[in-house]
Amino acid sequence: MSGLSAALRLAMFGKNVLVLEKHYVVGGLNSFYARKGRKFDVGLHAVTNFPSPSSGKTSPLLRACRQLRIPFESLNLYEQSRSRISFEDKHIRFNNEFSFFLNEIYENFPKEKDRFRNFLQKMEDFDAYSINVPDLSTRSILKEAFAEPLLGEMLLCPTSYYGSAQENDIDFATFTMLFDAIFKQGLARPSHGIRAILDPLVQKLDEMGVKRLMNNAVKKIKTYNGKATEIVMDNEDTYTADHIISTCGLVETEELLTKKKTPPKENKMGNFSVIETISVFKGKPTDFGWDETVIFYNDDQEFRYEKPKESMDSTSGVICIPENYQDPHNQKVDESRLRITNPANFDKWDSLEEPAYIAEKARCETVMLQKALEYLPKGQIQKKDFSDATLLKDTFTPRTIKKYTNHANGALYGSPVKSRSGSSQIKNLYLAGTDQGYIGIVGAMLGGIAVANNRILRPA
Amino acid sequence: MNKDKVKQIVLDIISEIAPDEDLSDVKPEIRLRDQLDLDSMDFLDIVMELRKQHGIDVPEAEYRQLESLDSCGNYLLPKFEAGAAA
Ligand SMILES: Cc1cc2nc3c(=O)[nH]c(=O)nc-3n(C[C@H](O)[C@H](O)[C@H](O)COP(=O)(O)OP(=O)(O)OC[C@H]3O[C@@H](n4cnc5c(N)ncnc54)[C@H](O)[C@@H]3O)c2cc1C
Repeated sequence: MSGLSAALRLAMFGKNVLVLEKHYVVGGLNSFYARKGRKFDVGLHAVTNFPSPSSGKTSPLLRACRQLRIPFESLNLYEQSRSRISFEDKHIRFNNEFSFFLNEIYENFPKEKDRFRNFLQKMEDFDAYSINVPDLSTRSILKEAFAEPLLGEMLLCPTSYYGSAQENDIDFATFTMLFDAIFKQGLARPSHGIRAILDPLVQKLDEMGVKRLMNNAVKKIKTYNGKATEIVMDNEDTYTADHIISTCGLVETEELLTKKKTPPKENKMGNFSVIETISVFKGKPTDFGWDETVIFYNDDQEFRYEKPKESMDSTSGVICIPENYQDPHNQKVDESRLRITNPANFDKWDSLEEPAYIAEKARCETVMLQKALEYLPKGQIQKKDFSDATLLKDTFTPRTIKKYTNHANGALYGSPVKSRSGSSQIKNLYLAGTDQGYIGIVGAMLGGIAVANNRILRPA
Repeated sequence: MNKDKVKQIVLDIISEIAPDEDLSDVKPEIRLRDQLDLDSMDFLDIVMELRKQHGIDVPEAEYRQLESLDSCGNYLLPKFEAGAAA
């Protein structure tokens, strides 16, 4: 997504652009696939940053649409119904109306009202979008901000799941951006899924004559005197360019540069990955009394966001029901989806041979579903009904994420070390997307745009 | 070329960049930023479209000259005329 966005900006202003993609489809983590005649989106739970009326109609999503000349209306976005953060028996609900969320906070944590207001002000005063922003631990800031630690833990949960590359913390700038993206703006989904964004990008690139080479990975970037001179592909084809934008990640890009295989520094490696299981079921989610869109849950008062010791940890996770976006089409569907995401251990999955891999996937599906039902209204007693209604299950693991992104360790959000400005150690090579620290669909688009604008297009 | 034509060119560019903005009542003497929802990225686009469509260069130090339609007219007219003469 970041690469396509950067390419489009550059092509719009007359640059000669070549897009190199390892896969035969575009989109990376925001890609799509078909299984048994059904279409699936790889990563899409929600498009964040929906410019809801209460957000004052300014949103990075609108910015991205403008910069790419994609009419916002053409995305056909539908807003969430209502979502929830649940820690044991404590629940904070939210929708795209910020005042509803504030009310929920004040009702659940009446003693924190003033402190929460101060915290909002602190975020407001913090220039999270600057490229020179200091690296601060959100966990320590939250600990200081509130008397009741649970409030901070509950805020960390959705923000971490939607964008933290670090275990058990998130840097304050990313937290602030995600807080705005999720709560102040809001969650929405294109009626036709992720292709509503990918298709116009690709179509525009095609119209402008930008060549996309698919199904061929970059193997090496040759350098001379601190400048990238040549790109070598898997099939040994070579290309030269004045500027190169890499969206495959920090560690991964460094690996393309080095001759000797020195293992990357541990602190640069992202560790956090997930497993996601999608159940396709007959009927509508409301047939089961489930009317919420996304549920972030945690079994404990303390939020743990880390690589689990076992292959998967279901004590914390995210449940998403795409048919609960307020798309009129969803009133008529005869089948729906339940998506469940949990932290997972890349090494465990990577070490499994095929039959064991498949068996472990099946085992995890059952455990994950069982746990998710505990967090869905009357889930437990409807277990048999839901299982009878289930038509198909599809599960992807950290290994799949590695396959789609090439991220070392199947790291969901890449390296904990970010390069905001997109600079690398090589003069004419820039990083865009995940390891620039701009996260998610909207982040990836804006990251690509920013690198194209500031590094290449902006007149010197 | 005259100042009104220059202003219209700028308005046309803005309508391409920000199709969601209502441009029917833009006051020429008031800063664009104060009446429309335009940020620095949008101004960069105005500059780049001027170069792409009309071959006019606006150095970064002079972006401020584009703050209102009137100032656009004053600042850009000589550039358009120089371009036409060349
Ligand atoms: C399960 C899951 C759910 C998610 N849900 C959401 C969500 O609901 N909302 C949201 O906003 N975000 C979501 N995300 C995050 C979002 O998908 C990512 O933040 C975003 O896709 C990052 O885009 P990117 O362009 O930086 O990188 P990527 O999507 O990783 O794109 C990088 C591209 O580079 C290609 N590539 C890599 N190496 C090479 C090479 N050597 N040669 C050639 N090509 C190469 C890859 O194939 C890929 O196409 C989710 C992610 C996951 C895993």
